[in-house]
Amino acid sequence: MSAILQEKETTLYLGPQHPGITGNMMIELKVTGDTIRKATTHVGYLHRGFEKLMEERLWMQCFPIVCRICVPEPDPNEENLARAIEELEGREVPERAKYIRVMMLELSRMATYLLWMGGQSGSAGLYTMPQWTVGDRDYIIDLFEELTGGRVYHMYIWPGGVRRDLPEGFEGRVRKVLDYLEQRLTDYDRLLFENAIFLRRAQGVGILDKDMAMEWGVVGPPLRGCGIAHDVRKDEPYEVYDQLDWEVITHEGSDVYSRAMVRRKEFEQSISIVRQVLDKMPSGPVHNPGPNPLKWRVPAGEAYVKTESARGEFGYYVVSDGSLKPRRVHVRGPAYVHGVSLLERMLVGANIADTSFIMNSLGTCPPEIER
Amino acid sequence: MKNIKGALVPFSALKYLGKKPHTVRYPFEKKKTAERYRGFHFNEIEVCIGCGTCSTICQNEAIDMIKIEGVEPGRGDSGLRPRIDNGRCCWCGLCVDMCPTGSLSLTDQYLHTSPDPDSYLLIPGVDNPEMKENISFTKSDTEPLLQFDRVPMRELDGAERVKSFAEVVLGYMQEEARAEATRCVDCGLCVTACPDHMHIPEYIGAIAEADDAKALKYIYDNNPLPEMCGKVCTRQCETVCAIGHLGEPIAIRWLKRYATEQFPDPAAILNPKIAEPNGKKVGIVGGGPAGLSAGYYLALRGFDVNIYEALPRMGGMTFAGIPKYRFPLDSLDKQIDYMKKVGVKMHNNVRVGKDITFDKIRNDNDAVFIGIGFHVPYTLGLTGEDLENSIQAIDFLRRVNIGETVDVGKKVVVIGGGNVAIDAARVSRRLGAEVTILYRRRVEDMPADWEEIEGAEDEGVHIVPQGIPLEIIGENGKVKSIKYGMAEMVPDDKGGRPRPKLIEGDEHILEVDTVIGAIGQEADYSFLPKEIMDELKIERGRVVVNELKQTSIPDIFAGGDNVNRTMDAISAIADGVRAVEGISHYLLDE
Amino acid sequence: MSDTLQKEEQIKASINAAFRSAKVSIQRKGRIIVEFRGGILPAFASYLKEYLNFKHLSMISGVDWPEDNQFELVYHLWSYEQSIHVMVKVRLDREAAKTKTLTPLWEHAETYEREIHEMLGVEFEGHPNMRDFILEDWDDLPPMRRDFMTREYVDEVYEWRKGREDAQDVRQTIAEQYNTEVPNFNNEDK
Ligand SMILES: Cc1cc2nc3c(=O)[nH]c(=O)nc-3n(C[C@H](O)[C@H](O)[C@H](O)COP(=O)(O)OP(=O)(O)OC[C@H]3O[C@@H](n4cnc5c(N)ncnc54)[C@H](O)[C@@H]3O)c2cc1C
Ligand code: SF4
Ligand code: SF4
Repeated sequence: MSAILQEKETTLYLGPQHPGITGNMMIELKVTGDTIRKATTHVGYLHRGFEKLMEERLWMQCFPIVCRICVPEPDPNEENLARAIEELEGREVPERAKYIRVMMLELSRMATYLLWMGGQSGSAGLYTMPQWTVGDRDYIIDLFEELTGGRVYHMYIWPGGVRRDLPEGFEGRVRKVLDYLEQRLTDYDRLLFENAIFLRRAQGVGILDKDMAMEWGVVGPPLRGCGIAHDVRKDEPYEVYDQLDWEVITHEGSDVYSRAMVRRKEFEQSISIVRQVLDKMPSGPVHNPGPNPLKWRVPAGEAYVKTESARGEFGYYVVSDGSLKPRRVHVRGPAYVHGVSLLERMLVGANIADTSFIMNSLGTCPPEIER
Repeated sequence: MKNIKGALVPFSALKYLGKKPHTVRYPFEKKKTAERYRGFHFNEIEVCIGCGTCSTICQNEAIDMIKIEGVEPGRGDSGLRPRIDNGRCCWCGLCVDMCPTGSLSLTDQYLHTSPDPDSYLLIPGVDNPEMKENISFTKSDTEPLLQFDRVPMRELDGAERVKSFAEVVLGYMQEEARAEATRCVDCGLCVTACPDHMHIPEYIGAIAEADDAKALKYIYDNNPLPEMCGKVCTRQCETVCAIGHLGEPIAIRWLKRYATEQFPDPAAILNPKIAEPNGKKVGIVGGGPAGLSAGYYLALRGFDVNIYEALPRMGGMTFAGIPKYRFPLDSLDKQIDYMKKVGVKMHNNVRVGKDITFDKIRNDNDAVFIGIGFHVPYTLGLTGEDLENSIQAIDFLRRVNIGETVDVGKKVVVIGGGNVAIDAARVSRRLGAEVTILYRRRVEDMPADWEEIEGAEDEGVHIVPQGIPLEIIGENGKVKSIKYGMAEMVPDDKGGRPRPKLIEGDEHILEVDTVIGAIGQEADYSFLPKEIMDELKIERGRVVVNELKQTSIPDIFAGGDNVNRTMDAISAIADGVRAVEGISHYLLDE
Repeated sequence: MSDTLQKEEQIKASINAAFRSAKVSIQRKGRIIVEFRGGILPAFASYLKEYLNFKHLSMISGVDWPEDNQFELVYHLWSYEQSIHVMVKVRLDREAAKTKTLTPLWEHAETYEREIHEMLGVEFEGHPNMRDFILEDWDDLPPMRRDFMTREYVDEVYEWRKGREDAQDVRQTIAEQYNTEVPNFNNEDK
């Protein structure tokens, strides 16, 4: 019977909804047996035309838009756009605001990794982990809510600094959450990273070798999971990353497991970075105000800025023609590179059951691909 | 299985079986939100001015400005209020940060589900008054989005100023004007307070866009003396500016001044279209702002216009009253010259009633406009008022402005607290005198502009508040000193503002060379023949007119100080502009 | 130009020496802009990649400049070794926008080119897989062109919700309250 199946090619449509993914995307699989012969991605379920919309919005009005480009991780978008504009304008950002921005970005990385842990284990059929990590992520979301007024979309980092200073006693509450999460890592290790099922599913699966990674423009944990030490925070430090003590984390192996381990360790490292930020944060203003948003013209010019998001290099190419609205805002998301052509390539030869699993390990995020 | 540890450790999860979960509670408990939570909107309806800034900034177009029962439009209030479409709102809170009054906020309320789409439309503050208790996300004072501070105006230094009649205010430079214009939120509420309803947001917008010529076009659309207004306007508009609620209002006056000063000859920019002559003639008595404004727009519409002015120059009180350090002659001339280009015929040194009769003017023309202003001063009613060197401010200012030499001696006292008093005081300083202002009430009660009061103090004018003049004492027929008593402020029985009451025995004597009275003036209607006076409705010294400035005699129109109570240049201009409508309507049936 | 821009200066000199049609400017530390006019783009890109070590293609942006009747493609390349980002700009005629694909150099150029093809209408010669990307069966103007009017499209395709027709314009309301009209000098000849 298996001989017959192996010869007959079948088409399977995976998605647009499926486990382990933040958003909707469909993959058309040509399979023989349970081996994938060809994978074709179909995106377009989440196209909101944000880049076009921004061309018809005042500069300030772009901020409620960009945070929605990536649902699990909105903050790098805000930071990027703000920093690109600041570069065009030559606007200074107060030191304290820079520290707060790093705190936001790292907390956001942690929140994203928690969501990813849930997704990664969920796509391997391990369902306790998502309950835990999504629940634990809520502690960070609570912090965001307290600081920014919004849980998921923060509208917090904006040109000239951040929108509000920390509330009374906030620092202590951040530390409490960090302590809790640090101690929870043991549980995560037991449940996922040392779990025999996970190891069996992840090790040696979804191989992306070093050369290919470089050639295909892979970034973030998937690149560092090939043992290559590139991280925007070090390559081109922004905000105050160069004043903090941390090292780029890598892991040899080039498989789903090594990508997971990079994230696992970076999660721990983020805890340390946030603690350093809290220790070092100077006092002072958090916002260097600009012109009235209704009549705010950004000087003509262009800027490319980037951050290391939880999924890798997140870049913004912003062009101003000196008018009230952007000429062009082009967003470079890591999933765009990982989740379309690379994924199609990596799925060839994989087992059907590993599709979401591999997809998740690359950090595929449809809302960011389509914008 | 080889990996025994890896197979066993996951079971450690069992230890959490009995634990209480963090996120969800059964039975359902509504989560207490954080203090800054961004939920449904609340609006303090009484504080909101309907400026619509919230609606403009909302990139989701979630906010409509709508008419609401019980909210009336008025000075500084459009009468509209925001309504949120919660089906579109994304709770970014930009509207809150942009609200210039701080009336709008977000609450900690966030739950609403309904199959009825209309239920998602919320008029904050009207539909949810109870949410006042739930306000959470409010405007921040320390991280503002709007710019609340005005670009400072450069001025001559006080000590420098008193040396000459050089203009005190230096005007904005291009960059300064752009920056100031950029602060405007384009709401247009200022228009409600401008007597002439000038197109303020439009010209400010043009300045912000670096298109000064366009600004000039908007300005001249309904004000032919904008450079004058740019320098001396009482700027009612600035008192209602949306930004003025929490910050310093936009310097509307200085921006107008800036725009007009950019062009030596407005004609070159405006290129006015002058209508073909329509065969109708209009005679104008008085060449003040009212008469000039009527004349200019009538001429543009093809009327044959003649203005008769008693003084050697046009401009009325803005020429004869306002001192040159505030409104220099060349600036006046520039504007008058432009009007002549448009075809307004002007006759100086012609006093109607003396050099030409009113009847002749009326017979020669199809309509007449009376804009004679208030040029007869009120007397103080004090003993010694007829002494030599006891003079009247407007006479004094006129003589100085015409160029006569006036000797006020070394010490001057000015009586009064209005702008005229301050002008007389500051002019006297420039003539070299030490000056004291005697005013019946407190400084904060002075009707004069606070900037003028400050300016006077900077120049060394001494103000004695709550001082009531009692007698002017003379020697050899000339003023020698003035006796005044100090007053205390007592509440008014009728509920008005506190009144000054003399304190028995607290009397002072001030040695002075000149006493200048500045307590008000009235109109001189003696040029009008008796039949006209009988027919013309005049109440409390002012000619009564309708909406279109038509008097009780259909072919006679009137405007300016001798009609309105606001008694400033822009009101006179507005009257003139309205009269043009009235006259066109009357003569051309338009 | 202190020694802090040394690396940038060196790169600029190398490019200038090898490609006359490339106008190189240093935007700031770590940012170089190359306006590449004429000549063969793949050859230039390959030179940057192989000889100057700009191995990482960050992205390809398309910008519409209808006033010049041109599209601008911006190739963002990063050199990990030198920590320098170079933006290679190519201008294409808007009426017949065509250029060679860079997929032989970078596999993931495929997605970027697919999107630019769809959103601006640029042809990439030699592209291996030019199928629909985000838009399905789109037959309107490519939507990222500046002359594609989002508002008009939306008005045509979607229905606005009912119940908001009573919205007022604040400025207009005020003008009407005083029987005035706001003139429009926006498009007047000076
Ligand atoms: C000292 C002073 C300072 C002021 N400062 C300001 C200020 O800073 N800002 C501001 O907005 N306003 C100011 N005002 C008020 C402002 O000048 C007047 O409100 C404005 O000029 C009134 O204009 P009008 O056309 O109604 O009358 P006027 O300007 O008074 O003009 C009337 C004209 O009619 C002429 N006239 C009168 N009778 C006859 C006749 N029979 N025949 C021919 N001509 C005649 C007069 O000579 C005069 O020129 C000030 C006034 C004074 C006195
Ligand atoms: S919160 Fe944001 S989306 Fe909602 S009404 Fe205000 S500006 Fe619009
Ligand atoms: S911005 Fe504030 S004051 Fe203006 S209409 Fe909106 S709520 Fe009212």
